[in-house]
Amino acid sequence: MTDWTLAGLADAIRARKISPLEATREYLSRIERLDGRIRAFITVDAARALDRARALERDAMAGRWHGPLHGVPLAHKDLFRVAPLPTSCGTKTAEYFVAEQDATAVTRLVEAGALTLGKLNMAELAMGPYGDNAHHGDVQNPWRFGHVSGGSSSGSGAAVAAGLAAGALGTDTGGSIRLPAACCGIAGLKPTYGRVSRAGGMPLSWSMDHIGPMARTVRDVALLLDAMAGADPEDATASARPVDDYAGALDRPIRGLRVGVADNYYFDGVAPEVAEAVRGMGAVLERLGARVEPLRLPDPQVIHDVAGIVARAESAVVHTRILRERPHELQPAVRARLAVGERVSAHDYLQALRLRARLAREFIREVFTEVDLVLAPATPTPAPSLAEVTVGDGDTIAARMGRFSRLTRPWNGLGLPVLAIPCGFSAGGLPIGAQLAGRPFDEATVLRAGHAYEEATDWHRRRPALG
Amino acid sequence: MTAAGLDSARAEAAGMAALIERAEADLAVAEEPARFAAALEAGAPDDPRPHGPARA
Repeated sequence: MTDWTLAGLADAIRARKISPLEATREYLSRIERLDGRIRAFITVDAARALDRARALERDAMAGRWHGPLHGVPLAHKDLFRVAPLPTSCGTKTAEYFVAEQDATAVTRLVEAGALTLGKLNMAELAMGPYGDNAHHGDVQNPWRFGHVSGGSSSGSGAAVAAGLAAGALGTDTGGSIRLPAACCGIAGLKPTYGRVSRAGGMPLSWSMDHIGPMARTVRDVALLLDAMAGADPEDATASARPVDDYAGALDRPIRGLRVGVADNYYFDGVAPEVAEAVRGMGAVLERLGARVEPLRLPDPQVIHDVAGIVARAESAVVHTRILRERPHELQPAVRARLAVGERVSAHDYLQALRLRARLAREFIREVFTEVDLVLAPATPTPAPSLAEVTVGDGDTIAARMGRFSRLTRPWNGLGLPVLAIPCGFSAGGLPIGAQLAGRPFDEATVLRAGHAYEEATDWHRRRPALG
Repeated sequence: MTAAGLDSARAEAAGMAALIERAEADLAVAEEPARFAAALEAGAPDDPRPHGPARA
């Protein structure tokens, strides 16, 4: 059952083929059996999850269905407030982040019937694309132990891929949903900036932070987004724009959609097997009726750098206390990245924000008059080994981190919706991920194209051999 | 933070300043950060449904 998709599990519960309590017990049993090696969880909340499952089971027996996620066990990155659990944000401090209310996104999933198995491991302060963590253990890639899971939502990616949760929330400031999705062979969506409330989640860079769903398939991701998107009085940046029926729109054909394959920047220095897999995805979309052609984008390096300036400055401000009072608690690379932010001038920070507005406007105008979607690789290589990414001093590691997230960060600067999905496997058996980006607030088209691709391929049906 | 680490952070911040100096020359006076959110809203697909404060 832990091999099922979230949608399949939700359907089975609704059809009374399996109960919420049975499902929860299965997941908890698998966590107990496997997570000592994978290290996806920081906190397993078995007692409360079982209590909630019993209550959901009683309600199901009485015909009181809470919503489309009734009885579905989820887990969330350990930077969301989910009372009464502590929120470490991947630091040494168990209660690093305190908020007045639970994270809106989690609350909405619970209102839709989901239950929470626990809190997931992550890169310290969400600052790292690999998922190594000196305090809570390095998250292992379920496809091959000893390789990175991708980060910073490392536990989210590994937990879903390993069948330790049916779905998970992640956050994405420079690629932190899409990198672990790509490395672990699952689907992950960075929604449009403002589509999902960020209230109750640890900020890293309030201008670049996005909260989004991670799950086995695009349909799973759409179901989660359906439940959590929309305006929120607790987050002034959450858009009042109406929420689409994402899952309901998945099966519309993609014939005639225009897909641009990024012709500059995104394939530079990318491993040949990654480039081949992503271009192969373009060929599949073309066979499905999309019009696929190369597209030269406004120089992504500029928005990448601008986004980096904003993220560095804001993260240094948010985490100034730990950086100044307890720097020894931070991993060297995290300390090195925060230290750069302390040295960004107010002038440069504000100019970067002004530049971002112009660059986003120009990108949207120039690109989306030509195409509906942009296709690009998610990572330059399949998941590297933990040994190779953790060698060197803090500056060396920080520079390496920047190279690994260079294909995802530009989209945070632009604020556009981007889906990461598996599009192949390397010769070494590791997943390869592609990014599909769309117009602002057009998650429906992004998800529809991703779903059509999944229906035509079987990468998302493969499971790591974990026993 | 070590002296080498400080030097490295300063060097990276200086690189960022140079980037801004190159890019800011033709920034319009009217440009402001809030226009980012406006660009997203303006670039969204047309939606005939009314926008409201609550979840739709």
